[in-house]
Amino acid sequence: MSDHAIVVQNLVKTFKGDVKAIKDISFEVREGEFFAFLGPNGAGKSTTIQVLTTLLNPTSGSAVVSGFNVQKDPFSIRRKIGVALQETGIDPSLTGRELLHLQARLFGFSKSDAKKRAQELLELINLTDDADRKVGKYSGGMRRRLDLSLCLVHRPKILFLDEPTTGLDPYNRNAIWDEIRTLNRQFGATIFLTTQYLEEADQLADRISIINKGEIVASGTSQQLKKTVGMDVIELTFHQREDAEKAKDVLEPWMKDFRLTNEELTLYVDNGAIFLPEMVRKLDGEGIPPVSLNLAPPTLDDVFLRVTGDHLEEKGNRQEGVVSK
Amino acid sequence: MNSNFIVDTYLMTKRSTIAIFRNPFIFIPNIIISLFFLVVYQAGLSGISNIPAFAGASYLAFILPVSIVSGAIGGSGGAGQSLVQDLENGYFSRLLLTPTSRVAIVLGPILAGMIQLFIQTVLILLVGIWMGLEIAAGFGGAIVVILLAAGFGLAFAGYSVAFALKTKDAQASQAGTFVFFPLVFLSTTFVPYELIEADWLKFVSKINPTTYIFDGMRSVLINGWEAEPLLNAALVIVLICSITITFASLSAKKAVSRD
Ligand SMILES: Nc1ncnc2c1ncn2[C@@H]1O[C@H](COP(=O)(O)OP(=O)(O)OP(=O)(O)O)[C@@H](O)[C@H]1O
Ligand SMILES: [Mg+2]
Repeated sequence: MSDHAIVVQNLVKTFKGDVKAIKDISFEVREGEFFAFLGPNGAGKSTTIQVLTTLLNPTSGSAVVSGFNVQKDPFSIRRKIGVALQETGIDPSLTGRELLHLQARLFGFSKSDAKKRAQELLELINLTDDADRKVGKYSGGMRRRLDLSLCLVHRPKILFLDEPTTGLDPYNRNAIWDEIRTLNRQFGATIFLTTQYLEEADQLADRISIINKGEIVASGTSQQLKKTVGMDVIELTFHQREDAEKAKDVLEPWMKDFRLTNEELTLYVDNGAIFLPEMVRKLDGEGIPPVSLNLAPPTLDDVFLRVTGDHLEEKGNRQEGVVSK
Repeated sequence: MNSNFIVDTYLMTKRSTIAIFRNPFIFIPNIIISLFFLVVYQAGLSGISNIPAFAGASYLAFILPVSIVSGAIGGSGGAGQSLVQDLENGYFSRLLLTPTSRVAIVLGPILAGMIQLFIQTVLILLVGIWMGLEIAAGFGGAIVVILLAAGFGLAFAGYSVAFALKTKDAQASQAGTFVFFPLVFLSTTFVPYELIEADWLKFVSKINPTTYIFDGMRSVLINGWEAEPLLNAALVIVLICSITITFASLSAKKAVSRD
């Protein structure tokens, strides 16, 4: 099992008041792998991270991180892992440099090594200009970056990142994505990342587990997961919403599912390539030719929809439904 | 006790101390209130020391312990507040994720509170001396006053930590510091025991631990070296410290536990 960074077997976590946050999950993460936990609010992502990082004891089952059991040897695990929790953990009365320095000292660095390491990380996260300001005065993005750098101080080989980009603007999100990618590819760090963003999991992770209501409902590479949908997705755009609605009614007999957002209609069909020409003829006949047409492979949201019957990401003004047959 | 524990405790104490002195709103009001007690009560009440029950003691020496004890309570009460802040801003979890000794994480703010208390007590003593205070037991007496203040402060730090980690709530732990008022004022605060009018207050002052701290400090400030009041004060400190620190450790254990 030495090539496994994380091994979780039948893990259960029940909070007071019989809140079943995790219901019997099992999974493994190989050394050097980039693994993502994708799920909506309340799915149990943070609870899983807290158990794996020794902050919470499991109710039952076992978790082994870096070869150490989370319950039997939490101190050994803490030296091996870097953790950025969902809520940043920083003392606002210290400066960025002081926090990094203190973190290094707490991991056993000497004073001069701690000083060097703090400077290295400040450069890495582009925070040298603000290094000597109180963290309480930092912006949200700066805090996130500092929080992330705090978890890297002791050069951990396994990183746990709980929704590291939630609430960030696209610029900061991309910066953090690059950073995490580099850690994984160049330094071979194992990454356990949780996210609510499909795109994030899709772009970054080698392997994804979809978690919903405390259970893992699907696992695999992004490609494998998408294949399980077994349907093609046709995206149509019309001049106006009325046309899109009409098209939906006309095409209803052929589709397995649809999504309607303003003048955009998304259809899920069994065999897109064969259906496409017939569909275009039909729409022409009705006098509602589409403005644009796109045959796309399924997304992770389609996977999520398939396994849970729900969408993962909220989109405004959407009408949807499964066509009963 | 290994060297890691000592380094961890040093680092945690240093960090809390920096936090205290970087936030002047924490320690300045506290010092001002203490000095206010000293100056105002001395100015307003010093005439009553002509009453025979004072046996010729200076009122300044009589009231100085009130100022020191109230400062000690305020200073050490900050330990709990700072832990609640750590819990609220997530830094507590960040510390738990390091290999740092769990004891050091809780001990740091307490020791930082002790440092604040020490500086305050010395300052109040210096102001007292500047106002004309003569310490009957001399320099050793001043040391005793500081030790008693520290002992009492430690007990109160234990109380504030227990309260803070139990409630995990800033408002609740703020409310917890209101025991300050009964502790300081239901005692021989302004006059000696014999001059307290109401029987209930006499009774309460007998069971209020603060009374014994006042007695101990006053004995070295006014009379010189006497065994009994110092012994009583020491016993009271040991007693209340063991109670509050036990509670503090229990709630700290719970706060760092993983269930
Ligand atoms: N300390 C706790 N006590 C009681 N219930 C809890 C506690 N922590 C989490 N829960 C519950 O456990 C469930 C899973 O929560 P968790 O925080 O793991 O979800 P999540 O996937 O991280 O969600 P989000 O995306 O919103 O962060 C939720 O129903 C939550 O209310
Ligand atoms: Mg979460």
